[in-house]
Amino acid sequence: MLLGATLLAAPVSAEVLTGEDPETGLRSWTWSHAGTSVQLLQLLPDQIRAFFLARGFEGEEVERIARACVFQTIFRNDGDRPVEYDLEDWSLLNRGERRPLRTRERWDAEWQTHPIDEPARIALRWALLPTVQGFEPGDYNWGMTSFGLPPGEPLDLRIVVRIAGEQITAQIPSVVCAADR
Amino acid sequence: MRLIVTAALLISFALPGQAVTPGKGLTPMPDRPPAPDFALSDIDGQTHRLSDYRGQVLVVNFWATWCPPCREEMPSMDRASQTLAADGIQMLAVNVGEDEDTIFQFTANYPVGFPLLMDRDSKVAEAWPIRGLPTTFVVDPQGRIAYRAIGGRDWDQGELLDPVRALTRPPTAEP
Repeated sequence: MLLGATLLAAPVSAEVLTGEDPETGLRSWTWSHAGTSVQLLQLLPDQIRAFFLARGFEGEEVERIARACVFQTIFRNDGDRPVEYDLEDWSLLNRGERRPLRTRERWDAEWQTHPIDEPARIALRWALLPTVQGFEPGDYNWGMTSFGLPPGEPLDLRIVVRIAGEQITAQIPSVVCAADR
Repeated sequence: MRLIVTAALLISFALPGQAVTPGKGLTPMPDRPPAPDFALSDIDGQTHRLSDYRGQVLVVNFWATWCPPCREEMPSMDRASQTLAADGIQMLAVNVGEDEDTIFQFTANYPVGFPLLMDRDSKVAEAWPIRGLPTTFVVDPQGRIAYRAIGGRDWDQGELLDPVRALTRPPTAEP
């Protein structure tokens, strides 16, 4: 990975590393502070289509998730204190509009009006990053986050974590949804 | 027709060169809550009930084939299960939401000697204190959750297994 560092104008000492895979061109953003890190890895809409078509989704429904700006997300606690987050505290800024993330609960609500088979609902639910999670030192999760934007859109992500109860708010700027190649 | 990208990209959701770095340690569970009972079939059709293992130390791993950290820890978990068997400790892996064929295909590349149970409707996973995969629990001989690990681990690390083995020994009396 080719990496570059950008110091953030955040209320904490933190930094964001950006990277681009030379083979695929897919980009990544990694925020870290005091042993806690959040990494966003672009996923292509075609990757999302294939994954969910193999797990019970059908054409129209799979497009809803494939074109919802999905990232593989890795949240790690490599520090020495417990860490918690709630994705309801996170938000994104896109073209001047602040939006919430599409959490498991928001997708579940969407399937109330656009029903999908139970295996598909289960697959999406467990593939998404948990909405609320607590990590002891040494714990981590991989999971998808979705931002509900069209492919190729830019966004700034505001994240909130609590390290041993202390709330940390930071920005991951200039994130870009993967294009629909 | 739109190009549906290569199988490698589809399956892993990991970028090339994106290594899975294992987590560390086991977290003691305060007050050791009771482990919710279950009755699940393994991929050979045999039913396993948690209550059947009462009196034994049990390691219960919740996983899915599409989850990179789950796949990464399987080989070392299999080696650990063989080591721990000498101490009478059993390992079980509960697959969340997938079918028998998917799991069976997975075992061609990741053969394991411990039972792979199927939680097709994810009801068991939802009854346990799990929010993401993989999550592993260590259940004591009294059927209580003694330890938890969120995210994959390197089960070849001896110190990871020490607290598991310690559960097989009767607690020492207070002086």
